[in-house]
Amino acid sequence: MPSVATEPAKVPAPAPDLSVTVGKMRLSNPVLTASGTCGYADEYADFTDLSRLGAFVTKAISKTPRKGNESPRVIETRAGMLNSIGLANIGLERFLKEKIPRLERMGVPVIVNIPGWTVRDYADVAERLDQAAPIVQGLELNVSCPNVQDGLSFGTDPRRLADLVATVRRRVRRCTLIVKLSPNVADITLTARAAVEAGADGLSLVNTFSAMVVDVETARPMLANGVGGLSGPAIKPIAVYLVHRVYSQVAAKHRVPLIGMGGIQCARDALEFILAGATAVAVGTALFIDPAIPGGIIDGLTQYLIRKGKNTVREIVGTLTMPETGRAGEPVAPP
Amino acid sequence: MLHHYQNGCWTDNKPAVPPRGGPDGRGPIPPQPLATPGGSVDRYPAPRHGVGRRQNEPAAVLRGCFRGIVVTNQPLCREHYRLTLHVAAFPPSDPGQFIQILCPLAPGAADPPNAVDDGALQAKQWRLGSRPPRFTDPFLTADRPYLRRPYSIAGRRDTSTAAKAAGPRAELDIMYRVIGRATVQLEKLTPGDEVSLLGPLGHGFIRSDHLRRALLIGGGVGVPPILYLAERLASWGIAAVAFIGVQRADLLPLTLIADHPPATDHPIERPCLMEFARHGISSILTTDDGSLGIPGRVTTALRTYLLAHRQFDASSGVPELFCCGPTAMMRAVSQVAAEFSLPCQAALEQPMACGMGTCQSCVMKYRPPGALDWVYKLTCTDGPVFHTADIIWS
Ligand SMILES: Cc1cc2nc3c(=O)[nH]c(=O)nc-3n(C[C@H](O)[C@H](O)[C@H](O)COP(=O)(O)OP(=O)(O)OC[C@H]3O[C@@H](n4cnc5c(N)ncnc54)[C@H](O)[C@@H]3O)c2cc1C
Ligand SMILES: Cc1cc2nc3c(=O)[nH]c(=O)nc-3n(C[C@H](O)[C@H](O)[C@H](O)COP(=O)(O)O)c2cc1C
Ligand code: FES
Repeated sequence: MPSVATEPAKVPAPAPDLSVTVGKMRLSNPVLTASGTCGYADEYADFTDLSRLGAFVTKAISKTPRKGNESPRVIETRAGMLNSIGLANIGLERFLKEKIPRLERMGVPVIVNIPGWTVRDYADVAERLDQAAPIVQGLELNVSCPNVQDGLSFGTDPRRLADLVATVRRRVRRCTLIVKLSPNVADITLTARAAVEAGADGLSLVNTFSAMVVDVETARPMLANGVGGLSGPAIKPIAVYLVHRVYSQVAAKHRVPLIGMGGIQCARDALEFILAGATAVAVGTALFIDPAIPGGIIDGLTQYLIRKGKNTVREIVGTLTMPETGRAGEPVAPP
Repeated sequence: MLHHYQNGCWTDNKPAVPPRGGPDGRGPIPPQPLATPGGSVDRYPAPRHGVGRRQNEPAAVLRGCFRGIVVTNQPLCREHYRLTLHVAAFPPSDPGQFIQILCPLAPGAADPPNAVDDGALQAKQWRLGSRPPRFTDPFLTADRPYLRRPYSIAGRRDTSTAAKAAGPRAELDIMYRVIGRATVQLEKLTPGDEVSLLGPLGHGFIRSDHLRRALLIGGGVGVPPILYLAERLASWGIAAVAFIGVQRADLLPLTLIADHPPATDHPIERPCLMEFARHGISSILTTDDGSLGIPGRVTTALRTYLLAHRQFDASSGVPELFCCGPTAMMRAVSQVAAEFSLPCQAALEQPMACGMGTCQSCVMKYRPPGALDWVYKLTCTDGPVFHTADIIWS
């Protein structure tokens, strides 16, 4: 017979709180999907439980349908891949009619990625979604798609970016407005600051890096479009650095949440971004290999927080300790 | 009921012109509008979600992520291998469907790396990275696969009812040609190794109500889905002839039957290939260099055969063509099919990243019957099998 309780009953420690807030969105956990890597709605439903996600981020939805670029549109590279999809999508009206009902059944907050070629393109789509689809809680302005030549300029010119964000801001009442930053700039803090000061509720970073693969036999690029965007583990250390820079130089001061992404494949990767300043993280290319990765990351984050004795994920955001000789966000020594 | 093969598809409209539309009653059918405006003829089966399910029954698993255990991994010829995997509870599959394999770097490395506290996994990766490199070490020069690779299902055997106690198990065959970074890794697999696979993906060859006779055309690495189709046709009792084309005799991934050498001058079918003869299907074999069977292209042999068998008698029905192989070959087959006004389906192989319909990388140009404009379709989820009359070859 077991002795009559001398030891105090073991109270199970409460599971750490993974919920985070991004603008007006309350997310049950900080793990999202990255735009363009998870389809429009429930394409992965047979492979994973999508209702576990903190939020679902859709493929870019433009005002009118787009066919996209010629094939081949992807090419694998060491530790990653290049894509030049060319923002192929079914267009706003079909999205509202066919995909919104499926997203509603999924039961997680939805963020719609919006590309554009003029300020009006963005503003019209944003306004329509803001009014027509309650399940859509966030709008992510894709100002950084390096595949479409005109798209690049919004994300690289702080003045044009500020103008765009301010205009969309005026036409959006309900949704949280997120700006997805391009990494293809000399100083990302300039565009980050411009977006925040123009009224962005959050920033997501990074989009893909402009890149190229050459077929040495034919002396031509491997992608039909010539150039593409690099994603996957190859970009992760740069993405972590850029999140750290934007957090320490812009976001922390303005109290604007960051959504970090770029090569995230496991909880350790996600934690790097969170410690560097990301409130939430998004899994992209890795979903192609295993759509169940977000669930694994949620479990891994929980284990980590328990191991470190933390009650919430919020308390570790941006808690990275930099070497004292370096200014925040600057390299300690020239690399 | 669909009754007439018209403009590349079966319809229930009586053709406005005689089936053989050329001036002499042969040749291609002139294009004609279909009854449905906008060309929205549904030629592809709806996804099988929930088919035959009662209200409170859990949805049958149609596809998913599975663990495959290597049973055998055998060389078939100079560059082709057959990999047989044991997969527990693998959902029903059709010929033409495919699986996405994560080609492991080392035994066990197939597990998706999402365990933050998994010290063993880390140690393994660490060891892999700290191997002392030498100047000529392939470690520096070789690209390692990152994404999964799609492979057509080449055959399938399910465990008999007697052994059901252990749960339903499928033995899946795939055939691969060692050409790059992923396939050199596949080659290293030994019995007992594990691989992660997604499947069954896409939708397979479509059986029309009119199918009485099938001509199967497989070129090179396109043979696997044709083999699986042969197996299925035999179970349906549909007569078939297989046309197999390879570059050279030493690239034939199939077994020759010594007593029945393949015809060498004229396309006459013989039970010469074991894998087809087993299902009562005779074959015609071609090699580009003439080292075996009939010299030349498989489509030339197909055309000669069709010319010789021009009068398809009513009882045996109009033959349907099913093909898979290099794009140039499938394109040539589709031209032959158009020339003889025969229905034809092709299993396309476009470069793929996800295989699940999310990345939009695997597009093919598709023109629905009767429509003027083309649209992009996804090879992975809308295909990989399409009616060749709907394909715009680029
Ligand atoms: C639906 C579908 C079904 C398929 N079924 C089968 C099947 O049953 N059997 C089968 O064997 N294959 C099949 N394939 C093809 C298969 O998926 C792979 O493409 C194939 O195995 C190549 O993988 P790999 O990594 O070995 O080659 P990779 O390394 O990807 O190389 C592919 C080719 O590209 C060339 N290449 C790669 N990088 C470069 C570069 N930088 N410069 C120049 N050339 C380059 C390589 O030399 C090679 O010829 C199928 C594909 C699809 C879409
Ligand atoms: C195939 C593909 C399509 C993408 N499409 C979009 C898109 O439509 N809009 C967008 O903002 N980002 C798009 N991205 C970028 C991703 O959302 C993400 O920012 C980037 O891939 C980095 O994350 P990763 O390394 O985890 O993939 C795409 C990426 C890939 C690989
Ligand atoms: S392979 Fe990704 S959509 Fe087809």
